[in-house]
Amino acid sequence: MADQEEIRGCIILKDLHYAVGDHTWVQVNDDGTVTVGMTDVAQNMAGSVLHAKVKKVGAVRKKGKPVGTVESSKWVGPVKTPIAGEIIAVNEALQNDPQLINRSPYHKGWIAKLQPSDLDGDLKELLSGDDAVTAYRDKIETEDIMGCKHVEGFEE
Amino acid sequence: MSLGFALDLSENKYADVSTKEKERLFEEVKADMRFNDVLYGCYECGICVAACPSARFYDFSPRVIAQACSREDIDLVYTLMNDSIWDCSQCFSCDRCPRGNSPGGLITILREVAVNNGLQTARDALEGYGRIIYKIMSTGTQVSPDMLQADAFPDWGTHVTEISDNLEIWRRALPPETLHTTETSWHVDEKTIIELYLIWHMTGVMDMIKEVDEGLFMILQDVMEERLEDAGYDDVTFD
Repeated sequence: MADQEEIRGCIILKDLHYAVGDHTWVQVNDDGTVTVGMTDVAQNMAGSVLHAKVKKVGAVRKKGKPVGTVESSKWVGPVKTPIAGEIIAVNEALQNDPQLINRSPYHKGWIAKLQPSDLDGDLKELLSGDDAVTAYRDKIETEDIMGCKHVEGFEE
Repeated sequence: MSLGFALDLSENKYADVSTKEKERLFEEVKADMRFNDVLYGCYECGICVAACPSARFYDFSPRVIAQACSREDIDLVYTLMNDSIWDCSQCFSCDRCPRGNSPGGLITILREVAVNNGLQTARDALEGYGRIIYKIMSTGTQVSPDMLQADAFPDWGTHVTEISDNLEIWRRALPPETLHTTETSWHVDEKTIIELYLIWHMTGVMDMIKEVDEGLFMILQDVMEERLEDAGYDDVTFD
């Protein structure tokens, strides 16, 4: 099991990079690409996901622009990429099973893969490890974000 | 001053702004072309309040809206823009005013000014409507059958689970083919959608959305620009 921390039931994996304000995570892959997704906190706040529409492969996105739109019963919002670059792959599985985002936000529920245009620069603004956990704990407590209930189960 | 009910009209209840800023906001209200058709002066007969369903359930009075605007009480108007105007259901029962005022019409203008100027209370009031605005603006239909999910509507009872589980097949059982949809209330023609997007573009509605909810603006922009481009409107952007 990856090194992780639990805050009010919400799982934070320490080996990922987080844009805490936007509730997104980034994983740097061995080939220099990055995978982007929503955090456990975000999927819990959204509720059961009904639709996840991801941008097309080939789209070039600036940092902070959406790579996808996630829609639940009462909420809709963008998944903003914390890393600028070109979308090289999207999670096709979300089309038929959008609740992968609820069940496995950090693995099977990933949103898009990008070829970064300035990885080092963009990564500097993200938090990982204990820094991410501390920042997320502050955010959850300050904004009194409800605890995570993994009603759909939680898959690694 | 006691008005006999609990509506708190005291100044400085909300993040205060300068008198100049309050004047500017009220000037924007008065400059609206509809303003002179919704306010002729109020003699406090109270018919609007008697007819108003919101007044029965909230600390809300359409008469106060008409009074504040006709007296040009900019402090009170500013307070109302941060509070009362969001309690109105826009049913226009108040249109039975013997002077021909329309407090509901005034509220329409006040809300638009609050939204256009990105007042925090406008953001707060509209926050819960994000998905509905997204639905209307991106598909042309307000609600979608698939919104009925047990986790979001527990108050609808246990049969909500049955509805959501069988939604697709139940929708197909409806006689009109245009209702065989789950993501939208009915099938919306591509031509209609493109026309809608062009209307949002020409009327500046997207600029309004940008002021109150940037995340919502971003996803609408993405959806609309992509479909407009596919339809040959490459030059239409919302930036």
